[in-house]
Amino acid sequence: MAITTHRLTFPLTAESARSLRAGDMVIMSGEIVVTAGLPTHHRLIGCLNGVEPMPMDLNGASVFHLGSYSEEKDGTLQLHYINPTTSTRFNALMPTLISGFNWHAVGGKGGLDRPCVEALRQVGGVYLSFLGGGAALHTQAIRRVIEVGWSDMLMHYRLVRLQVEDMGPVTVAIDAHGVSLYDIDAAT
Amino acid sequence: MTGIGFDTIKRVTADLYDRSLRFIPADSKVALRKADGIETNETARHTLQTMIRSAEAAEQSWRFVCSDSGVPVYVIKVGTQARFSGNVRQAIVEGFADLVASIQPPLLPHVTNPLTLERGHSGRHMPIVTFDMVDDCDFIDITCSPKALGSGRWSAMEIFSFPDLPTIEAYVLDVVRKAGSQPCPPVVVGVGIGGTFDYACKLAKEATLRPIGQSHPEAIVEAMEERLLAAVNRTGFGPMGTGGDSTATAVHVDYAAGHGFTPVAVTFNCWINRRTRARLFNDGRVEIIE
Repeated sequence: MAITTHRLTFPLTAESARSLRAGDMVIMSGEIVVTAGLPTHHRLIGCLNGVEPMPMDLNGASVFHLGSYSEEKDGTLQLHYINPTTSTRFNALMPTLISGFNWHAVGGKGGLDRPCVEALRQVGGVYLSFLGGGAALHTQAIRRVIEVGWSDMLMHYRLVRLQVEDMGPVTVAIDAHGVSLYDIDAAT
Repeated sequence: MTGIGFDTIKRVTADLYDRSLRFIPADSKVALRKADGIETNETARHTLQTMIRSAEAAEQSWRFVCSDSGVPVYVIKVGTQARFSGNVRQAIVEGFADLVASIQPPLLPHVTNPLTLERGHSGRHMPIVTFDMVDDCDFIDITCSPKALGSGRWSAMEIFSFPDLPTIEAYVLDVVRKAGSQPCPPVVVGVGIGGTFDYACKLAKEATLRPIGQSHPEAIVEAMEERLLAAVNRTGFGPMGTGGDSTATAVHVDYAAGHGFTPVAVTFNCWINRRTRARLFNDGRVEIIE
């Protein structure tokens, strides 16, 4: 079966997310939010529980497990590079975050487990697989840093909202209909 | 002759680390192209082609292939005829510190204190360096193989008692299945069998440094490598774990004689398979091997 490549605007809506099938490719333009920090995920759970205010609006956002290095130069933030980290590290926290913030697109590399697949199905969300070791390609698609949340944290733990153009293609690895490419019968 | 100098070691080890982040070894490139030629899954072929494009883009722009630059790891073979005119370990520590201060783009702070989880660019025993003696050589041979979280996390070791080959191979496959999509496949799998607890792990690490396509010289090991590679590629994880036939580009096995207790260590390199290497001679020559 031929691969379908979709050009979509981010943050992804539930409707766009539901139009995708596992195995499709997506070329992304628009606004995404990235972080590679487990402490960041714990802090977001705290926000849902009223522990502290949100550093930026993440409702309905497209949030990816991507680490980035940016520096302030001449009053603007310049991003040096960006690349995915392993999403399975966040398995335990993602269902709460996906449901709590209505995330219609999440992603990174390595996938998420079954409870996350179910949370994505319920909110109408997909998991997008970015190429690990794709820093040179991913970074080319960054147009600007829109805002940074939690600057008190390590660089790659911060929440960074980016404007991207023609990022990808990335693979729809978990679709909004409960299909995950990571469900593999590993019998040998 | 003054021997191999402090400044040379400092400069070369820093440079090996820097370069290792910006391109993939020639054998990795060949292996990815070969995998692309035989892969039956279309998404997987696409991912393999993107890997090659990513590596080429990084090399052409001299940027990092991956944002996780890992921690610096050096495997050093010291010729018995090699002579030094300064401290070796200190040169490597200072070389890394200088690199951290000057490298563009900058390195993220991945060096982690395992007790406090504080992160930075330096720490106890960092860079990680192992030294071995080799007879009849007047040089030191330095391989830089930075280790990052994605592939470093999934290594495992277990000690068996008089295991047969099927038991050993089943264990290797168990570790591969646990790693699954996570170490950025197609991976290079290194397997160390026998010796002692520590030595089996060292053998596994060094097995990942063997060029892809080079088999073990002993027939029994070569056959095992072929069986394991076929079995790993039947798991179906595929490139980046989204399905396919290309889960590993190589399985490299090495072994050492031991007692009846047999450690089996399994470790991974991601598809990039970062590796640079140089030789430093007594007469001051520096040979960049890769």
